[in-house]
Amino acid sequence: MQCDDRPVLRVSNVGFGYKDERTLVDISFEIGRGEFVALMGPNGSGKTTMMRCINRIMSVDSGRIEIDGQDISALTMQEISRMCTTVPADTALDFSLSVRDYVSLGRSPYIKTIWWEDEEDERLIGDAMWDLGVAAYANRRLQELSSGERARVLLAKGIVQTPKLLLVDEPSAHLDIKYKVQIMEILRDLSRKGLTVLIASHDINLLTRFCDRILLLSKGRIVDYGLPGDVVSESSIEEVFGIKVKVVEEGGTIYVLPTGSAGYDPGV
Amino acid sequence: MDDQTKLKNEVMGRIVGTAQIRRRATAVITTGLVSIVVLYLLSLTMGSYPVSFSEALDQIVEIVTTGGNPSEMSGKVIFNLRMPRELAVIMVGAGLAIAGAVMQALIHNPLVDPYITGVSSGASFGVMLITISGLVTTSISTLWMVPAAGIVGAIAAFALTMVVAEAAGGRAMSYVLGGTVIGLGLSAGTTLIMSLNADHLENIASWMFGSFAGVEWNEAVLITVPIALIIGVVLVNARRLNVMLLGEDQAMYLGMESRRFKRNMLLLISVLTAFCVSFCGVIGFIGLIVPHLCRMVVGGDNRVLLPTSMIVGPVVLMLADVFCRSFTVGELPIGAIISVIGVPFFVYLMVKEGKRYAM
Repeated sequence: MQCDDRPVLRVSNVGFGYKDERTLVDISFEIGRGEFVALMGPNGSGKTTMMRCINRIMSVDSGRIEIDGQDISALTMQEISRMCTTVPADTALDFSLSVRDYVSLGRSPYIKTIWWEDEEDERLIGDAMWDLGVAAYANRRLQELSSGERARVLLAKGIVQTPKLLLVDEPSAHLDIKYKVQIMEILRDLSRKGLTVLIASHDINLLTRFCDRILLLSKGRIVDYGLPGDVVSESSIEEVFGIKVKVVEEGGTIYVLPTGSAGYDPGV
Repeated sequence: MDDQTKLKNEVMGRIVGTAQIRRRATAVITTGLVSIVVLYLLSLTMGSYPVSFSEALDQIVEIVTTGGNPSEMSGKVIFNLRMPRELAVIMVGAGLAIAGAVMQALIHNPLVDPYITGVSSGASFGVMLITISGLVTTSISTLWMVPAAGIVGAIAAFALTMVVAEAAGGRAMSYVLGGTVIGLGLSAGTTLIMSLNADHLENIASWMFGSFAGVEWNEAVLITVPIALIIGVVLVNARRLNVMLLGEDQAMYLGMESRRFKRNMLLLISVLTAFCVSFCGVIGFIGLIVPHLCRMVVGGDNRVLLPTSMIVGPVVLMLADVFCRSFTVGELPIGAIISVIGVPFFVYLMVKEGKRYAM
């Protein structure tokens, strides 16, 4: 039997670099079952690299990543894909795949026959589309959907893959305010049902409102890891993002307002 | 049953799921195979030596009962010339269409064709070299050298492309750029060497235009067996190719070793294309337009798209071939005919669809 207090994700002393440049330096943290954690930091802080290392799209130079107690460097891609998957920010649209076709690909790591999904797969695909409100346009082609609808289709594919750990990369980057909140609500509800969610984003206000904990990254190093109220302060945001902000509280949630000037100069 | 469950069941009932896709694939394959057989029989009656349909059927019975030794002239024409030739047309049509569909899935671009990795330029270069070498004479025993040189040239060109593309990072776009450059280099080499050996120009040009005129039973078998085998392997991988449509990263999130799979598939498709072009010359547009046309009608699921392409390819090529050999004065080059039809169609596609692909 698996012990429930074992962390779903444990990252120990991870380092990664392209040539001479260190992208990740001595990163260590843990995430427990059902937690909704944010990987927060400015552009180029190493968020995406961290996610890619966890999904082993890239292999770490040093340190160790364990998912559900298993060192991922010893697993095949298929074994990893049954425990962990990434929901991309968007997907290629040129191939006339229907919404259902796309979501069904999430069952790939489990397919038993060479070609077809079985009844169990079919049920998971149907339920995920229904739960995320995309079942009504299951037969439409992916390119016919709005960005908000498509974001939920991308999530549905991640869910039918039945991972223990869901990595979500910049889900709200091109969504309007309503859909941004909607995606965060879906992710929070999934985590309340026991799925562990790690989201990479620089949308501070959404992260502080919805996430259980925030891991603040700057230049490939962990600056802080803890409750949103502890991690996000006027000084920490100014230090990491390089802009003066005002932190206000509204209904128990903190919000960050950029009050300073970012400034720019013609190339230093 | 409460309202919510009722609504859910109603919505779920409308979804085109596995069962429907399977039925659709079965229907497509069945009707397709039947129409290919019918067209095959019809094509045996057509050409510069007219044979009526009932006579053709009689002759086929005769061919079967005599074990391939019909006594009448019409029987000989059908058995020795038309049957092997149309078999090769079917296989090359299917091979090029499948190769195009797979290439488009691997490169994530619906506007690429099987020749994108330099295979056709390599085949042309090989055929040109063997032709000017003087090794190929009119003697039957040396004729096999032409397709052999084509296959060697095609595979060598792909090997070069692969070396360049892998050195440049091994992404899909590396293969497109590498293949284009290698292809251009080999074409330039072909042009240069040809211009210095003008006496062989006609032989090389007739191969390059594409023609099934020289295909008899030996060639037909050499074309059919490898193409059928490779198509079989590709069909087994149809679902994996669906995953590859999403790009290498997403395919890895779904547990695929996508780099390795892509490399193996590109190699397989290049060998397939090499067999398609080496006997009958470079036939353009089938590999580009057939998969695209099929995708518009049946959608992008490779489990339906590949069988559909595999059937529409031969049908288009058979129609073109029958047209080409219906002239009593001589035969039109099928590669050129296909291109004449293909160019306006491609322009239409570009104008209609091009914006979506951000060209």
